[in-house]
Amino acid sequence: MIELMNVRKVFNPKTVNENVAIKGLNLKIEKGEFVAVIGSNGAGKSTMLNLIAGILQPDSGNVMANGKDITALPDHARASFIGSVFQDPLSGTAKSLSIEENMAIALKRGQGRWFRKGVNRKNRQLFSEKLATLGLGLENRLKTNAGLLSGGQRQCLTLLMAVMANPEILLLDEHTAALDPKTAELVMNLTAKLVSEMNLTCLMVTHNMKQAVEYGSRIIMMHGGEVVVDVRGADRQGLTVADLMRMFENVRGVGLEDDKLLLS
Amino acid sequence: MTAYAFLGAIEHGLMFSLMALGVFLTFRALDFPDLSVDGSFPLGAAVCAVCITKGVNPFAAVAAAGFAGACAGFVTAFLNTKLKILNLLAGILTMIASYSVILRIMGMPNLPLLGYDTIFTPIENLGFAPQTAAIIFSGFAAAITAIFLIWFFHTDMGLALRATGDNMKMVRAQGISTNRMVFIGVSASNGLVGICGAIAAQSLGFADVNMGIGTVVAGLASVIVGEAILSSRSVLRAVIGVILGSMIYRLAIAYALSFQIGDFRFSPGDLNMITAVIVIAALSFPGLRRKVGVGK
Repeated sequence: MIELMNVRKVFNPKTVNENVAIKGLNLKIEKGEFVAVIGSNGAGKSTMLNLIAGILQPDSGNVMANGKDITALPDHARASFIGSVFQDPLSGTAKSLSIEENMAIALKRGQGRWFRKGVNRKNRQLFSEKLATLGLGLENRLKTNAGLLSGGQRQCLTLLMAVMANPEILLLDEHTAALDPKTAELVMNLTAKLVSEMNLTCLMVTHNMKQAVEYGSRIIMMHGGEVVVDVRGADRQGLTVADLMRMFENVRGVGLEDDKLLLS
Repeated sequence: MTAYAFLGAIEHGLMFSLMALGVFLTFRALDFPDLSVDGSFPLGAAVCAVCITKGVNPFAAVAAAGFAGACAGFVTAFLNTKLKILNLLAGILTMIASYSVILRIMGMPNLPLLGYDTIFTPIENLGFAPQTAAIIFSGFAAAITAIFLIWFFHTDMGLALRATGDNMKMVRAQGISTNRMVFIGVSASNGLVGICGAIAAQSLGFADVNMGIGTVVAGLASVIVGEAILSSRSVLRAVIGVILGSMIYRLAIAYALSFQIGDFRFSPGDLNMITAVIVIAALSFPGLRRKVGVGK
């Protein structure tokens, strides 16, 4: 499905700020897996996601999807089979466009964009049905500008838009981290529902171990640009947050007190 | 202000609203501060003037001017997207380069059009005075352009273009090439500006290599004045606002030029200062309005 082969990414090479974000990473993700990616700040989680999405290009190594080498494919060309949701709830929608216009843009992903009317009666009906499943009443506000929605509402809309054009892969970069606990739960429930309904392959970066244990069918822990723990199949059964914390301490060789986010 | 000055301001306001709509397309919709407008305006005028003096149909000459303007925009987009040159600088480079191109096209710095048939001739033949004919034609051209832009901004491509100016990260995640949108937007904008230059040359009766100076500031002034009076909540309001803004801007200049206290009068040399003051006033207007307590 997705495969990273010996991928390496260095930021600011040959300067005093040189930072090896990903060093020789090999990872194979099978179709239908829900991979939760955990690790401390600077472990390379987001960089890995950005390499898969095509926002970043690796310095060496290859990115494969369905057996094809997509290393040279720019991010917008990968969007036909990859949907992404970022941490910042404002980054997934265009604020000056209405809800229906945002969704029309998402619906056309992977198709030509020419001079057809963006929002017509037929797809407005579809948007309204999709929004109704959120239970936020947004189906009655199709003409409201996205900029007038709350962060949680915008993140729900972003999630709907990310899967609108039936991608195969969904990339989530701490997509609930900037939301209040109640909204975060709403967005997470919606995520789980969409992933199982649409049978998506999902990579979710999270700082929340409880979330990782609850939703991940496979859990990956990164540290210093490498995968240090990879739990799936039989080992994944009965894994608890406490087990995960212990593994994390073993890897880091230090206590967790310096990383308060993990305790949530 | 005399009736003649008033009508002149309306004529220029309508005529230059095409250029202002082009500026709106880049500065506002695409969020691309494009200064090549100062070059594509006289480029359009030059191409049109040369075509007309060579006996080409005036309407075909205007189309050729639009194409020339679009080419200038294409160059700016190329410099920005492919060669990674800062958008402001890319526009300035196209602007100064087009100066030489215009001199090559015309072969001289100024090309008079007196005595040739223009796009206004068919209307004048119906019995209208030249100024009335220019107002009718410019109003018609502004209306067609406005309808076209409002339609375009609601198509799939138009939505993608507006989103590009709003949130590039989202646009790329939705599978849109932002480079493609910059090419389309900047070329279309400069095409409009080239057409505007062609119409202006025929109205003035000449094309001049220096006639583009200050075009982009005038366009920006119209856009900002339009936003101050009508706000830009919807595409419809924004587009109509630009046309109204363009007329108000020309009226304000005409008023300033007719202004007199004792022996003091503004001279045409003061126009740049007047324009700057209008832009500053329009920019600070929304803030002032809030302070006074008039809700948006």
